[in-house]
Amino acid sequence: MSALPNNVLVVDDETAIRRFLRAALEESGFAVLEAFNGRMALELAATKKPGVILLDLGLPDMDGLEVLKRLREWTSAPIIVVSVRSDESDKIEALDRGADDYLTKPFGVEELLARIRVALRHAESAREDAPPVYKHGDLKIDLTSRRVWLGKKEVRLSPLQYSLLAALVRNAGRVVSQKQLLKELWPDTESNPEALRILVHQTRHRIEREPVRPRHLKTEPAVGYRLEAPDD
Amino acid sequence: MRPLFKEYGIAMAAAAICTAACFGISPFVALTDLAMVYLVGTTVVALRGGWGPSVFSSILGVLCFNFFFVPPRFTFDVEHPQYVVTFLVMFAVAMVISRLTVRVRTQSEEARRLEVSAESERLRSSLLSAVSHELRTPLTAIIGSVGSLLRAPGPGSTHWRELLENIREEAERLTRLVHNLIETTRLESGRVRLKKEPYPIEDVVGMALERLDKSLAGREVRNDLPESLPLAPMDPVLMELVFVNLIDNAVRHASGPFPIEISAREAGGKLEAVVADRGPGLRAEPVDRVFEKFYRETRSAGGAGLGLAICKAVVEAHGGTIRAENRPGGGALFRLTLPC
Repeated sequence: MSALPNNVLVVDDETAIRRFLRAALEESGFAVLEAFNGRMALELAATKKPGVILLDLGLPDMDGLEVLKRLREWTSAPIIVVSVRSDESDKIEALDRGADDYLTKPFGVEELLARIRVALRHAESAREDAPPVYKHGDLKIDLTSRRVWLGKKEVRLSPLQYSLLAALVRNAGRVVSQKQLLKELWPDTESNPEALRILVHQTRHRIEREPVRPRHLKTEPAVGYRLEAPDD
Repeated sequence: MRPLFKEYGIAMAAAAICTAACFGISPFVALTDLAMVYLVGTTVVALRGGWGPSVFSSILGVLCFNFFFVPPRFTFDVEHPQYVVTFLVMFAVAMVISRLTVRVRTQSEEARRLEVSAESERLRSSLLSAVSHELRTPLTAIIGSVGSLLRAPGPGSTHWRELLENIREEAERLTRLVHNLIETTRLESGRVRLKKEPYPIEDVVGMALERLDKSLAGREVRNDLPESLPLAPMDPVLMELVFVNLIDNAVRHASGPFPIEISAREAGGKLEAVVADRGPGLRAEPVDRVFEKFYRETRSAGGAGLGLAICKAVVEAHGGTIRAENRPGGGALFRLTLPC
């Protein structure tokens, strides 16, 4: 972790939220920068070059999505968008505009730290090669030999089911939007969300012990899917 | 405008019926008695319509009486001047009856309106009491826990962890309550547009179970959702809320070692899903009262009486149905169907 940039820019207009984020992040060894509006966020991002940006979409002076757009014009630092639950379309829009992930309010500290770790690791692995084997609990996916195991048993998947897993492994721990997956799995055809849902459903019945309570392949309601971050 | 035309139509119909009746009885009664028949017609019109149709009916009655029965018949001429008096009295009585009837009717409508507003007043106060009770309980727990934490000797003490867990659980309870309140308001305002897309029900049940992970805390969930179930068009966010409420309901009311059972099957072109528990069952009489807003089985089990009302609103917005049942052998069962 020491090699990673460890300052986090927190953008939120609520003092109580900033206070709790500062406590949680400093406790875990991050330095915290705080901005309480969009203008300040843009300024601090440019001058202090934070390693991660936590961006609340509801800001007093400007639209959070606009802040995101302006940030993405020049920085590739991971941006994790924070929003309330009912704004599914905002989340999708934010992912389309280059956000790395999102957190839904209210969220727990564990969830917050996990998202930051994944975002940092992902930013890191963009420079290096990702490890070829994904392991999470009893699920193992070997990207070099294209083989999948559940416990000791090898799982047989259709090529499309495998492609789905491979796409999710490359983004392990991060949400992958429905749109991204459709583009990746069916690049030449009209996008069909229903086919994707059926594919995920079938894949779950191969790689999950209890498909209705998936341990590995999670649904992000109305947004997309997430394969849990690999075990350390 | 249209209902008024209808009232005038009724006035004309009443005059026609009275005329027919008078033709029937005219051989047996005195001529002036026929005027009474028309007065009955006017009373009926006044009971239904307003002032205008009543006046119209009174005039119509006098004209029909004159035209059809007063000699010379089938003309508007009048042989004896005494009939003019009959007409005037007839008209006056019709007007008085109309006036009284219309007034009684407005008064009873007014009374009904007051009753409705008393009803909504009662609803509002029961909402306020349910919500304020529900909001205050977790807030009290949170504030009390924080206060105790600040006084506690430190992270090592045994109470420390319990108090922190208290805070988190109660805050999560508040979150669910606020969410339910917001969704109820949204659903009632009629501004919700369902974002329906074909979804596997397993996916939606899975999201609900994930959301309730902490309150399930080791409770066994037995599920029977065949892989081959057809997809059903649904708004995943709202249907997740339905299952969150049904499962949360089972967790709160049915404590003990029994599993919560979730199953689904295809039946007659519909998708049927069941959430069942082995708790004390439902006391409501009839059981479907549990879906009424602010209805609560017991005070102690918590809940503002909104969860099941939301379930019903959401399922019905999907063109489906939801029923509550008491299970043979004890426990509550909720059965919902969705078109697929």
